[in-house]
Amino acid sequence: MSTELLNPSSSGRPETALRISQQAPDVLKRTAKTSLPFPLSVLFSSEKQETWVELENLLVACLRTGDDKSARLCLDRLTSRFGEQNERILALRGLYEEAIAQDGKAVNAILTTYYDNLLAEDPTNMPIRKRRIALLKSMSKTGDAIAGLVELLVTSPIDAESWAELADLYFSQNLFPQAIYCLEEVLLIVPNAWNMHARLGEVLFLSAESNSNARDAALKDLSNSLKRFCRSIELCDNYLRAFYGLKMVSSKLISLLEVETKTVSKDKTGELSVPDKATVESLNELATSKLVEILRKGSSGEHGWDGYEDAELVAIQALLDQTSQKVER
Amino acid sequence: MAQPVVQTIHRDPSLFYWILVPITVVMILTGILRHYAMILLQSAPKKQGVKDIRQTRSLMRGVNLRNNASVLTRPSFESRKNYLVPAYQDGTFLAEPEKRGQPRANPMSDPAAMEGMMGMMKNQVVMMVPQTLIMGWINAFFSGFVILKLPFPLTPQFKSMLQSGVGTRDLDVRWVSSLSFYFLCLFGLQPVYNFILGSNNSASQVSQQMAQMNPGAGITAMDPNQDPDKLFLSEAENLEVTELRSILEGIEGRILEQLR
Repeated sequence: MSTELLNPSSSGRPETALRISQQAPDVLKRTAKTSLPFPLSVLFSSEKQETWVELENLLVACLRTGDDKSARLCLDRLTSRFGEQNERILALRGLYEEAIAQDGKAVNAILTTYYDNLLAEDPTNMPIRKRRIALLKSMSKTGDAIAGLVELLVTSPIDAESWAELADLYFSQNLFPQAIYCLEEVLLIVPNAWNMHARLGEVLFLSAESNSNARDAALKDLSNSLKRFCRSIELCDNYLRAFYGLKMVSSKLISLLEVETKTVSKDKTGELSVPDKATVESLNELATSKLVEILRKGSSGEHGWDGYEDAELVAIQALLDQTSQKVER
Repeated sequence: MAQPVVQTIHRDPSLFYWILVPITVVMILTGILRHYAMILLQSAPKKQGVKDIRQTRSLMRGVNLRNNASVLTRPSFESRKNYLVPAYQDGTFLAEPEKRGQPRANPMSDPAAMEGMMGMMKNQVVMMVPQTLIMGWINAFFSGFVILKLPFPLTPQFKSMLQSGVGTRDLDVRWVSSLSFYFLCLFGLQPVYNFILGSNNSASQVSQQMAQMNPGAGITAMDPNQDPDKLFLSEAENLEVTELRSILEGIEGRILEQLR
């Protein structure tokens, strides 16, 4: 059995989804209902949980690749097992309806008739609430999506997924302080998620870029960003995004610290101190050397280093070229 | 040296067909029946309202903030603390703010609590009734039969365990009476049920009793018998005294040391 099917496919790459959905006939045949006649079925009911996980992932993959017929079959199987009223089934059905909707009007109808009715019946139906917000987001009604998410988070403030989504939405609206707040909430729930630390670093960096007039604020954001990237590296040694970000931030910080040599003393609010220039420089060197190593080993496809995507390696190359040009000048 | 005399008892082979096999089959079938009876009797867990969910999860948020405060910088920690502590103290997140300060109602008069107790009673009945019936059946029909011989010797201490219902003092411990065989089945059939019904079945009563003995095993976020207001107040106090040591303090040095 392929393990691929047991992992959530929504996060996978398009190729993975395509490969999964191509297995649809096989999986559907294998999981076909082969129930024994009555007395034996009572005695030997061997039902595996994996079957249903597989079917659900297959459903999503089929919808992604446009294989609506197989998706319908998966949905029917799941419905016959778990019943019409199961929360997850309702959400999956909504997903299917969205996929086969022909135009914007039909999608709108799903939103108002299907989702809103379900939520009026049972406001605690989290899968449907999330589905509705996702639909609003993909219809680019960002304001409504944000309002929905805020309402959801009032009810359930320990949902990391929703916080992360809200952070993304705020970020897309350039509302950096809000996005930062949301990402910090995510970290409070999953404190060791290195990708979230790096993401927070990125948002802090961009926030500093956006208010580059106020030097102190920018400096604070940049040094925070630097620390976030460092923490991300501490948690995951070879995390490319964190090294990339570290290099960007440290270059920026060096230039900022050069302008004014006056040391920024630790201020009264007890905020984290701004690192001194020597530390930032050595961090920059560290990031550069690590990026070079990743680029070398990743592009040669060395064993254990082949997890990086081509686009990421190209981006490193571009960054390194850019900085080396600067040095030559 | 005198060898110990090996006791030989000539058993009628029909003992095997008419006692050993029926007891085993009946025990297995009862287990399966019990499993399905439990499924039938199980009531779906009661749905929590939006406000109850909010109450529980808001409390969890405070716990999360306290446990993982080290990922934050000081200003962001302070701002969260300044929001949560007064909110907890004022009972903003309570599901039933008007009931604040009132003593808790008697659980006996609360229909929701009664339902939970009824569920437990039902389980108990499903467990106890078949057990009593079968034991009575065995006692009435098969008491006093010696039905099998263990292939290994045992010390005399096992006599009471293996030969209940047979009052013969000199009988070798290796002989097992029908009532004792029933007990062996009762405690030993779990793997058989696992094989037939899958691993999380409710056929065996032994495992059920184990689960009842330590109800604290499942982590419950909020004990329904506790006053949520008290929980919020104590959490507010906990947050007040939380000391922040940010993990970002001095991280540059750590990284440089680690990777250089």
